[in-house]
Amino acid sequence: MLFPTVEFAIYFPIMLAISWALMSRLEWWKVFIVGASYLFYGTANWKFCLLLAGVTVGNHLFARAIAGTEDPRRRKQLVGTAVALDLAMLGVFKYYAFFVEDVDRVLDSTGLGLPLPLLTIALPVGISFFTFQAITYVVDTYRGHAEPAPLLDVAVYLSFFSHLVAGPIVRASEFLPQINTPRDPNNVAVGAGLFLIAVGLVKKVAVADFLAREVVDPVFAVPEAHSAVDVIFGVYAYAAQIYCDFSGYTDMAIGLALLLGIVFPQNFNRPYRSRSISEFWRRWHMTLSRFLRDYLYIPLGGNRGGRLATARNLLLTMLLGGLWHGAAWGFVVWGGVHGTALVVEHQFRGRKVPFPGWFKWLLTFHVVVLAWIVFRAADLDVAGQLLSQLGDWGPATLITWTTLLVVMLTIGFQLLPERETGELRLRVEQLHPAAMGAALAGVVALVAATVPTQGVPPFIYFAF
Amino acid sequence: MSDVRTPEPPKPPREPRRFRARDALLAIGVAALLLVMFEGPSIRRGGERMDDGFWKTVVLAVGKPADAFGDVVPLPEIGDELTSWLSPDDDLGGPGSLEASAQDTTPQAPAADGKVPPVTPDYFDPHALGDKAPEPRELDTVLVTGDSLAMPLDAEVARRLSAEGIEVVRDPQIGTGISKADIGDWRSISLRQAEKEEPDATVMFLGANEGFPMPKAGGGTVECCGVDWATEYASRARRMMDTYRQDGEARVYWLTLPAPRDEERQRVARVVNEGIAVAAQPFRAHIRVIDMVELFTPGGKYRDSLDIEGEETIVRESDGVHLNKEGARLAADRVLDALTDDFGLSE
Repeated sequence: MLFPTVEFAIYFPIMLAISWALMSRLEWWKVFIVGASYLFYGTANWKFCLLLAGVTVGNHLFARAIAGTEDPRRRKQLVGTAVALDLAMLGVFKYYAFFVEDVDRVLDSTGLGLPLPLLTIALPVGISFFTFQAITYVVDTYRGHAEPAPLLDVAVYLSFFSHLVAGPIVRASEFLPQINTPRDPNNVAVGAGLFLIAVGLVKKVAVADFLAREVVDPVFAVPEAHSAVDVIFGVYAYAAQIYCDFSGYTDMAIGLALLLGIVFPQNFNRPYRSRSISEFWRRWHMTLSRFLRDYLYIPLGGNRGGRLATARNLLLTMLLGGLWHGAAWGFVVWGGVHGTALVVEHQFRGRKVPFPGWFKWLLTFHVVVLAWIVFRAADLDVAGQLLSQLGDWGPATLITWTTLLVVMLTIGFQLLPERETGELRLRVEQLHPAAMGAALAGVVALVAATVPTQGVPPFIYFAF
Repeated sequence: MSDVRTPEPPKPPREPRRFRARDALLAIGVAALLLVMFEGPSIRRGGERMDDGFWKTVVLAVGKPADAFGDVVPLPEIGDELTSWLSPDDDLGGPGSLEASAQDTTPQAPAADGKVPPVTPDYFDPHALGDKAPEPRELDTVLVTGDSLAMPLDAEVARRLSAEGIEVVRDPQIGTGISKADIGDWRSISLRQAEKEEPDATVMFLGANEGFPMPKAGGGTVECCGVDWATEYASRARRMMDTYRQDGEARVYWLTLPAPRDEERQRVARVVNEGIAVAAQPFRAHIRVIDMVELFTPGGKYRDSLDIEGEETIVRESDGVHLNKEGARLAADRVLDALTDDFGLSE
């Protein structure tokens, strides 16, 4: 179920009312939340619920076993097995087809051409997100950062509907304490929640989908048919689209959780104002960045082993971070570009770099935008074709006043001082709740009018 | 004494206002109520488009009374008036739609009045007669359309023809079907495409979402996949073909469905392919049916891969319905061959 759909608009008010009605009976509330979240998830395919339940039970048993032994070797074996099983499951569902097609090509080229069976393995929505959350749970238990929780609590944590399919990646130690004390019904961030839901809707439906339809999809589908100007504009438009698509989803997820009294960590903080790639990763998909840092980069050795080892660890972390997004070489190259940029930056750390701030911003922004090309292109051939079009100057057919304005505003807003945008939010929060509800209805109606007959396309990150 | 004022301390940042849980319910309740009042018809339409099941029932349970309310109090019309300028869609549907113009497909008795439908020159493919085909107009615009099957074929055709300076309009209508008019009515879509693009050639690859019951003339519906359904399907497809061929000035290349993996879908695909063949009969001078069954699934038997230049290559997506990029390349080869024959493109 997508957030911007009629089903969700019916589902959520009912869920919200029952959730607050049950708040004083915490165990009942947890059972209800698990049931409602599985109902939400099961609309995609009820079989996925079995997988989610399996992941929940499996990681719960491992966490209990880890906490139940003092033997360091045994604890290490248990956490290693749990993480390996989680990753194996992710591998089967997410990377099987990638593996089969590439191995098939290699076998063919060596004359051993027996095609491997192309099995229909549907990618369960959100598998990358809930698997990573399960990993944080067992690893945090192993590290002593979290206590093993009852099965019901783990089920609430992994299935909670608003972060289930595309994050943010919330740590067990952030989430579990919140569900073990009843939320205060006299202290709910209603204004902030509704504001985020409205902003998220506009970002996703009115901006991201509009840019995809009008500019990005045509350019990336057939680069040859577009001039350099259109291609360049298409790449900038994709930078705006993916930001609005993913941060729009996150805004809605955080806003919905706030209405239920749950606080999620921030996931985006105006990433396109960054003046370095490391700053970009502190502002873009922040919960993934800290996951990669805490559960991959630091265990690999972080920056403790000298320049060469640090460079290796940075590169490896970003390559795997790229691969996490999907089974395609484009994501690996994308991770490689970011990893290389981080390595270069690390070499200059502590030295005085004689570049003005605006130049650092310009450089960082364009490294990010260039990397989006391989991220978005269907494959590396298309990415190459797109780059080769940069020499083909011709008429611009995709640039209109509307598309240009939307791209410029999306990127330009991120350069505004934070206080200005925060002030707008605080003003909205002063309204009466009924007026806020009416305003939300108005935004939904306006946004719904921009949806084409074929409906709202899924969020980009649902595929990851 | 100097008038030195102590600067005012900076105002503390305003804290987000905290509300009560009942405020959240009030706000969401007001939003939901207003949307039900203003968007009733949209909610109902959304429900009707959904696959059968729990959520369809729930959405229709809200949408039907909301729609009925809209008939009494015209708030949805006011809402539509205010927001129609934002709509990305052309106005579709109406009296010209396939649903609205279901033809009488009951068997006719030609002997009753002694008349049989006349055979016209358009029935004949000049190539088959060994005759010289009439010169088509110059190939400036090619429309590639259909449902999701048309992707990535559309990109492949566009890629190849862009070098020739030919404009390729890619307009797949995802999720649509000739027998599934709720998302998009193909009569209206074809009229709009032909009028807007005036394509010199249309490439159609459609049929991943077929098999739905269709209304028939005189009321009632016809269920898939007997002769009545095939007849209705063919008559709808024929009207679309007639639209795209633009009185014989343009050419149409209609791709049949390669057998899907699923057996139930195979049955639908067979009937759809028969429907396409029958539909094209009166227009063989302008419409080519390009056989994807023989190319991808000889004998109608599903397969994932084909021998391409000595290498077994996967040509289907893992869903067992769509073509992957390799498959689309092969399909595009056939389309380009046909275009080359008809329009004399450089090989």
